[in-house]
Amino acid sequence: MNEEIDEYDIYHQDFTTISEWEVFIARIEEVLNEWRLSKAKIPKGNLEFTKKWIGKSEEIKFQSLNFTLSYHTLECELNTNPLKDNKGVEGGWKPSTQLHNGIWEATKNFMDDEDGSPFPVSHWYGLKQYLMLYPSQPLVEENQIKLVMSSINIAFANIDCAVPFFLKIREHWQQCFLGIYEDSEFKTSFDTIHLKRIPNQCSHLNGLANLFKGKIASPVSLEPVLMSAKFSYELKDLEPFVWRPPSQTNEFLSIDGFDVEKLIELPFGAEKNPIQSALLNVMWPRFLENAVIDSASYSDFDPLMAPTWTITIKLRENINCLLSDLVGKMLDLLDDNHLLMDTLGLSRSLGILNPLHKITEAPITISKLVRAAMGSTSVSEFKGPIPDDLLMSLLYYIFPDAVDDDSHKYPEDLQVEMKQSDQEPKLCSAVKSSPAGGLVRRVSLVAARLLEAGGLPYLAHLWYEFTQELQYRWERRIRVPGVAAGPPGARSCLLHQKLQLLNCCIERAGVEAGAGGREGAGGDSDDEFYDCSEEEGEEETCERPAAAGRQERLDDAVMKNGAPLYIPKTQEPPPRTEDQVAEDAALLEAQGGGARGSALRARLLSASLLSDMEAFKAANPGAELCDFCRWYSPRDWRPEGGGALGERMLLPGNPWSEAWAVARPVPAARQRRLFDEQREAQQLLQWLRARTVAGVAELLLPGVLRAGAARASAAGATGGAGAAGSDTRRVLTAAARELAEAEKAAARAGAARVVLGGAAEGCPLEAAARARLLAAAGGALPPPARREFSLRVRDAGGAGGAGAPHVLRAALRQDLLLAGCFTEAAVLL
Amino acid sequence: MDYVTTLKILVIGESGVGKSSIILAFTTGDYNTAFPATIGVDYKMKVMEVNGVKVKLGIWDTAGQERYRTLTSSFYRDAHGAILVYDVSEPKSLAKLQEWVEELQVYSTKKNIVSLVVGNKIDKPRAVTRAQGQEFAQKHRMLFIESSAKTKEGIELAFEELVQKIIETPGLWETGPTNSNIRIGDSEEARRQQQSSCYDYTCTI
Repeated sequence: MNEEIDEYDIYHQDFTTISEWEVFIARIEEVLNEWRLSKAKIPKGNLEFTKKWIGKSEEIKFQSLNFTLSYHTLECELNTNPLKDNKGVEGGWKPSTQLHNGIWEATKNFMDDEDGSPFPVSHWYGLKQYLMLYPSQPLVEENQIKLVMSSINIAFANIDCAVPFFLKIREHWQQCFLGIYEDSEFKTSFDTIHLKRIPNQCSHLNGLANLFKGKIASPVSLEPVLMSAKFSYELKDLEPFVWRPPSQTNEFLSIDGFDVEKLIELPFGAEKNPIQSALLNVMWPRFLENAVIDSASYSDFDPLMAPTWTITIKLRENINCLLSDLVGKMLDLLDDNHLLMDTLGLSRSLGILNPLHKITEAPITISKLVRAAMGSTSVSEFKGPIPDDLLMSLLYYIFPDAVDDDSHKYPEDLQVEMKQSDQEPKLCSAVKSSPAGGLVRRVSLVAARLLEAGGLPYLAHLWYEFTQELQYRWERRIRVPGVAAGPPGARSCLLHQKLQLLNCCIERAGVEAGAGGREGAGGDSDDEFYDCSEEEGEEETCERPAAAGRQERLDDAVMKNGAPLYIPKTQEPPPRTEDQVAEDAALLEAQGGGARGSALRARLLSASLLSDMEAFKAANPGAELCDFCRWYSPRDWRPEGGGALGERMLLPGNPWSEAWAVARPVPAARQRRLFDEQREAQQLLQWLRARTVAGVAELLLPGVLRAGAARASAAGATGGAGAAGSDTRRVLTAAARELAEAEKAAARAGAARVVLGGAAEGCPLEAAARARLLAAAGGALPPPARREFSLRVRDAGGAGGAGAPHVLRAALRQDLLLAGCFTEAAVLL
Repeated sequence: MDYVTTLKILVIGESGVGKSSIILAFTTGDYNTAFPATIGVDYKMKVMEVNGVKVKLGIWDTAGQERYRTLTSSFYRDAHGAILVYDVSEPKSLAKLQEWVEELQVYSTKKNIVSLVVGNKIDKPRAVTRAQGQEFAQKHRMLFIESSAKTKEGIELAFEELVQKIIETPGLWETGPTNSNIRIGDSEEARRQQQSSCYDYTCTI
């Protein structure tokens, strides 16, 4: 051969006259080559597959048509090595055998099952891989279908494709596909027919069998045709199974019939039937063609005698649930940063714009409303959107101690639940709680339901009345009911902490008033004193006449000077809510990490120490720092010489000795107070009034979510572990999502349970379950909503075993869907 | 901001067991033979690298005196880790640690907070055996280490182990350096933090 390259020998060709059709075919071939789908390139052997479908796709244009060519395959098991079976390939494994066996196996299933693949062909024909050419516009014209199909044929043959190739035809809603597969021995064609009305000869099994045999047109006699049948009955409309929406009313809003029970009963469940369809499937899995007669005039099929009954339920993807709706409405408020009182136009009159401005408007309280209702003359009060009668009922529900009616009293002992350690996760457990049955729960629920019923104005009105009532209680020193006793605990939600703090203020102010002590709480704040009762020690003797404010002796300890050592009465550290602690922490943090910062922090925090030192000096005249340490910090006290300071207390300039040096002997009762309940309460009330819409929602959502979680748990919903975190909103959002999922799942499960009874979905039913269904249907099954027949036969086997299969599957509802698959052996001349 | 998260670490235990000294040794490498007793709480900060990630530690030092319990416990909120310190030369300080464990159970808000028991002052004559410390830590399912703030022995390791464990605990910490436990009032800021975090914020109920 002459190796010289003449420039005219260079391969060249003129493509300028190529037709669009040729380009189309070439493009398909190009894609198939790129995906390595020719028989030579595709992995061979008995691959193991998972049940997961994966795929890839390319866009292809032809004339004015746009197609998506896609390849779908079950994912291969990772551990199977395609090459290890090379011997097997030579020893008789053929792709067509795999295809034929798949088609045959698939007839054990019915057409309306699903295998998770994007198109039903894989399930109908038992395919593990297939190609699909999907037109963006429906392909209905016969000419076009033929043209595209022949393009597929040519491309398939040119690259010797190893995977069945389908074309989607007809309208998109019609499940019609044409397909081919071909190799050196067999040609298989897949065909689908969809008819909107069922022709007579196809309406029964015998007619379909004739059609099937006619289509095969086998020159030799065939084996008997194997058949299966499945009749499906719609269950969800049967009277006992009819889905009823959960009762949800705003009845509590009606004035005559206000019913707290209705109010606190949170709605739960789906708005619409979560079940899309519930089918009883009556199946005859396998019989021979001559065993059954089913013609236009007579049928052997008696569903009551069928060997297998199953129930399949299809659930709706998206369902709206009532509780989630309620929570969702409040959650939406988290984006609204307007002052809530602006909704009522009250911000200015409440002095919210200018916090220093004194509150001018007289608070409206239950007592005033009662007076107004009784016909009192004072009517200049603010009138909100909620009708008075309803408002009063709601306020009496939240503050039941305001009325002589025990029907809605709070439980005596309100506890904040402890955090769970390793128990199974509860719904919304990441959200901070408040005592179940307590005030926070009640006001949150009322708020949520009012928001749902009357929108933001109702919520604002309730909040206004709520804060006014708190103001009234503060002024009259009436405890807020339904709140756990004690100082604010970080375990409970912020609103609960605030109310605990308010109660602390009310109690302290009440003690003060009871002691009949000073007046003029609003006077010179520098002159405010902490009031603890001023009883002196009983055994007061002449030795130290100045001693004051003793609590008790510290065991039998004596001071360095020999006098007994007394523990003084002290001021309790001021109660703080978590947001205040966070502010404190930020302030402390802001002093910096260095030694200077530490010194500043010590200064900021030494008020308590100084107060204790002064009380100690007052109770123990003549005391030294070492005596103080013996009580306060025993590890810094040493017994040597009747009492000495530990090493670190002797450091020059240490804050302890500095504080000791300036401390005067003042009993706690006469000290400047560490906790100013007047200022604290006023600030707190103003803080509540001046919340934004989002801020109020943030305060109320924990109560709503926890109550919702309790409602959901009672309805059998279970929860996962919610996201805990320091970001309140994130926790709330995550909990709301968790609750919504749980509600949806519970609604679906509940609806499914009604239909299933105790039976499992998709499993053959026991006799009792069959009897139950039959009874529900009134003793006899209605006409089937859908019938399906499957007919199959194999060519007489060649030397290699089973022959090529022929399959016809028919699904009959109002319409008819026929899916067939016929194989011809290539005739070798 | 070159660190992925801020962790809040509490250091608690009886007065005089060396809590502040341990923190000083860890954050600056210094040691003072005598250290003024902490008043209330103190705060130190250190950026530390664990598993190739930088984390900012906000370390809250607490006073051990009984009178400060109320104040210090209010700072337990949202802590990711706790270091419980006792003095190996002082058996009572280990016995008293039981109270601190209870304190922690009551006031910490995160349910899977990581705790480390540290037996400090191993440079001094020992009155508590290692086994006793181990037994305590095992009983409460905590990490355990012995250290000396004076010789720095075990100090670095103690914090490393604790932080490592916190990082490995799912759901305990969040990415995005938040300013300690202070939430920024601006909701835009909060939203942005939410979006940049590992939580999917697209779902609205």
